[in-house]
Amino acid sequence: MGQKLNRQIAGSMIACVHCGMCIDSCHYVLANPGDPTYAPPYKADRIRKLFKKHFDWTGRILPWWVKAGSVYTDEELEELKDIVFGKCTNCRRCSINCPMGVDFATFNRMARGLLVSVGIMPEGVAVVSKDQWEIGNQMGVLKEDYLETLEWMEEELQDELDDPSVAIPIDQMDCKVVYSINPREVKYDPRSIADAAKIFHAAGESWTMPSEGWDMTNFGLFSGDDALGGSVAQRLYEKVEELRGKRLVISECGHGYRSTRCEGPNWAKVDVPFEMESSVLTMLRYIKEGRIKVDKSRNSKPVTFHDSCNNARSCGLFEEPRELLQLVCEDFREMYPNRSENYCCTGGGGAMSMSEYTPQRLKSASIKASQLKETGAQAVVTSCHNCVDGLSDVIRHYELGMEVTQLVNLVANALVIEEKVAVPVAEPIAAEPAVVAGLPLAGRTLVVADDEPDQVEFLATVLEDNGATVFRAMSGDEALELSRREKPDLLTLDLHMPGRDVGEVFEILRKDPELEDLKICIITGRPELRKLIYGRSVRRPEGYVDKPVDEERLLLNVRKVLELAHEAKKV
Amino acid sequence: MSDVLHFSEHTLQEVALGFMALVYVMRITWFLRRFKAGAERQAPTGSLSTTKARGILYSWANIAMPWAMESTRTKPLMYAQFVVFHLGVTAAIALSFIIPYAPGLLQSSTVTVLLQLVIGAACLVGAVRMIRRVTNPYMRAISSPDDYFSLILLTVWFFFAVLAVPNSTANGEWHLISYFSLTAFFLVYVPFSKISHYLYYPFTRYYFGKSMGYRGVYPLQHG
Repeated sequence: MGQKLNRQIAGSMIACVHCGMCIDSCHYVLANPGDPTYAPPYKADRIRKLFKKHFDWTGRILPWWVKAGSVYTDEELEELKDIVFGKCTNCRRCSINCPMGVDFATFNRMARGLLVSVGIMPEGVAVVSKDQWEIGNQMGVLKEDYLETLEWMEEELQDELDDPSVAIPIDQMDCKVVYSINPREVKYDPRSIADAAKIFHAAGESWTMPSEGWDMTNFGLFSGDDALGGSVAQRLYEKVEELRGKRLVISECGHGYRSTRCEGPNWAKVDVPFEMESSVLTMLRYIKEGRIKVDKSRNSKPVTFHDSCNNARSCGLFEEPRELLQLVCEDFREMYPNRSENYCCTGGGGAMSMSEYTPQRLKSASIKASQLKETGAQAVVTSCHNCVDGLSDVIRHYELGMEVTQLVNLVANALVIEEKVAVPVAEPIAAEPAVVAGLPLAGRTLVVADDEPDQVEFLATVLEDNGATVFRAMSGDEALELSRREKPDLLTLDLHMPGRDVGEVFEILRKDPELEDLKICIITGRPELRKLIYGRSVRRPEGYVDKPVDEERLLLNVRKVLELAHEAKKV
Repeated sequence: MSDVLHFSEHTLQEVALGFMALVYVMRITWFLRRFKAGAERQAPTGSLSTTKARGILYSWANIAMPWAMESTRTKPLMYAQFVVFHLGVTAAIALSFIIPYAPGLLQSSTVTVLLQLVIGAACLVGAVRMIRRVTNPYMRAISSPDDYFSLILLTVWFFFAVLAVPNSTANGEWHLISYFSLTAFFLVYVPFSKISHYLYYPFTRYYFGKSMGYRGVYPLQHG
C-alpha cells in the first residue's frame, strides 16, 4: 500500500469527516435505499481502515477509536473484493460531491490494484487483463482477425460508396492521423470502423490504422494495475511514433480516452511527443473547417446524450459532443442531470466483465433507466463503447425500447457525399451464394448450441429468418453429434451447458479432420469461462459474442465469420 | 480572578497551543515528506479557459459556493448547518483569545449578544447533528467513536462558550474554567482526531482542484 500512496490519495484517506454529504450522489445508494453498505464513505472506510492501521498515528495506537484495522482472513479479502469491484464503478460522482475533496474513486482504484497484486479479483478481470497482457488487446482479438475485419469493412464501404478508391489504410507512414479503436469494434461493432473510415475519406484526411498496438482501451484503469496500464499505453504510443504519425485519434470510448489521453503518460512515465484527441473533436473540427458536409435531417429521431463518467468527470469532455450533436441531429434533448453530474451507465469500471455482480449492477441501473425514460428520446447517444454495452443492458432490462448509438454513426449517417459519375466495372465481381439467394445466410447450415431453450429459439429464429438451415442442440454432446452428422458451416457454442464439458467438446471438434472447415462462434454470458476454450492448444474459435446478444449483433458476427471464411477459401 | 482561572486562561492555553502547533508541524512534515505528489504529464484537456490555477482556486472556494456541488445545492438546510456550525467554531476559538487578551471587547453588549447567538446556534446544530448521526442508519454505519466523541465534545464546548461570553465571575468561575479546560483539551486532542480535517482540507482541495482544473472538469458544469 505504501508504494501506491501518493499525496492526493493519502489526503483523501485522512480528510474524510464522515459528514455524509456524498452518500446520495451514488447510484448504488439511490437504488438500494436503506442499505448503508453502498454508501461511499462506508465503502471507503473498508479501505481507509488499512491506512489508519498502518499509517495513521491514532489508528496505530487506538485502532478501535477510529475504526482502523487490517485484513486477516480470506473472507475479509473477499468482502473487500466485493466492495471495490462489485459496489463501485469508480464513476467519481461522489468525489465531485465531497466538500472535503476526498477522491474516493481514485483510492478505490488503488485498492483494486492492491487486490490484483495479490491475485484477488473477479474472474472476468483476470481473464481480460491476461488477454491484454498476452495478446495485446482486452478482447483477445488476433491480428489476422483484426486485419480481416478492416479489409471486410473496406470492401463494405467501397460497395456502399460505389468507389473502389475508398480505403482503410494500414501502417501507412507519416500520416497526419493514426486512428486507434476499441477491440469491441472489431468483434461486435465493425460498422463503427467503417463509419469512421467514411468520415476520414470524406474529409480527405491523411490517416492510417496500425496493424499492431491498435487497442486504445486499457484494463489497467479498471484493475488498478498501473504496470498494465503503462504497458498498454506505451504499446500504442510506440506504434504511433514508429509510424511517425502526427496525431493519435482515439475512437469514442470513455475509459480508452481517459487511459490513453490522460492517464497513460503518467502510468508509463513517458512524455508523448505527438498530439492525442478524441474522435469527437476530430469530427467536430472537420465540420467547422468545412472538410465534411452534414445534413442533420438524416438523423431526425429524438436523441439524448449520455456523458461517459471518464470523459466528463476525468477529462472535461462534455461540450464538444453536444456541439456535434446539434450539428448532426434534428432533435437533441438534454438528459438531467448531465455533464459532470451525469449518472454512470452502471457498466463502468469494468463492471461489464464481472458477471457475478450483474444482478446488483442491473438493480442499481434503475436510476439510469429513470433518467433515460424522462428524456422521451428514441435513441441515446454516447461517446463510450463501455456505455453502449451498459446502456443496452439497462434498456433491455427495464424495457425502455431505446436505441443506443454513437456520434460516429450519426455523423456518418448525416454525411453528404457528392455522387460520383458511374464508371463501368471492368470485371464482374463473382457474387456470393448468399447474395444471389437474397437472404444473407441462404444456403448455410448452422448448429445452435445453448442450454437455455429461449436462447436457442431466439438464435435459431434469427438465423432461419435470414435464410440459414438451423439445427438445435441443448448440450455439448448434442452439439458434437449434430456437427458430425450435419457438417454445418458454423456452430454457435454456449460455454456453460450440461453434460460433457464444453471445452472438451470444442477440442474434439477442432481435432476432427472431417470438421476442418467448421467455424465456431462462442456465445456466452460468462466471459470468465473463456479459458475453457482459449487455454487449449487448438485453433481458436472464429467468433466470440457476449450475451445478451441482439439480432443485429448476432447476424453481423455470424456473417463476418462466414464471409471471411468464404474470402479465405477464394484466396 | 482566581489562580486556577488565570492558569486556565493563560499558561494552560499557551502550553496546549504550543503542543498543537508542534504536532501539526510534525503531521504536515510527515504528510509532505512521506507522500509524493502525483504528476500530470499529459497535455491539458477540456475547455481552454480551465487551468490548474483556476481549478485550485475554484476548489478552495467550493465550500463558499453551495450552488456548485449537487450535494450542497440540493440540501440547503445541511449547508446552512455547516455554515452555522463552523461560524460557531470560529467564534468560540476567537473567544478563547478575546477573554485573556482583549476582554474590553466583551463590554459591548452587541458583541456579547452576537457571539452568544452564533455560538448558541452552533450548539443547537451540534445537537441536531448528533441526533442525525445516531438516528440515520447511513450515518450510524459510517461513524466511529471518534466521530461521536468529537461532536459531543464540540457541542458541550459551545455550551460552555455561550456561558463564558460575558466573561463574568459574578456567579462563580466554574463556567469559565470549564470552557478554558475544554479548549485546552481540544488543542491537545484535535491533532489526533477527525477535527484536524481543516489541516488537510487545503491540501486535498488543492490537489483535487489542480487535477480537475487541468483536465477541464473544474469549474463544474451541469445542466
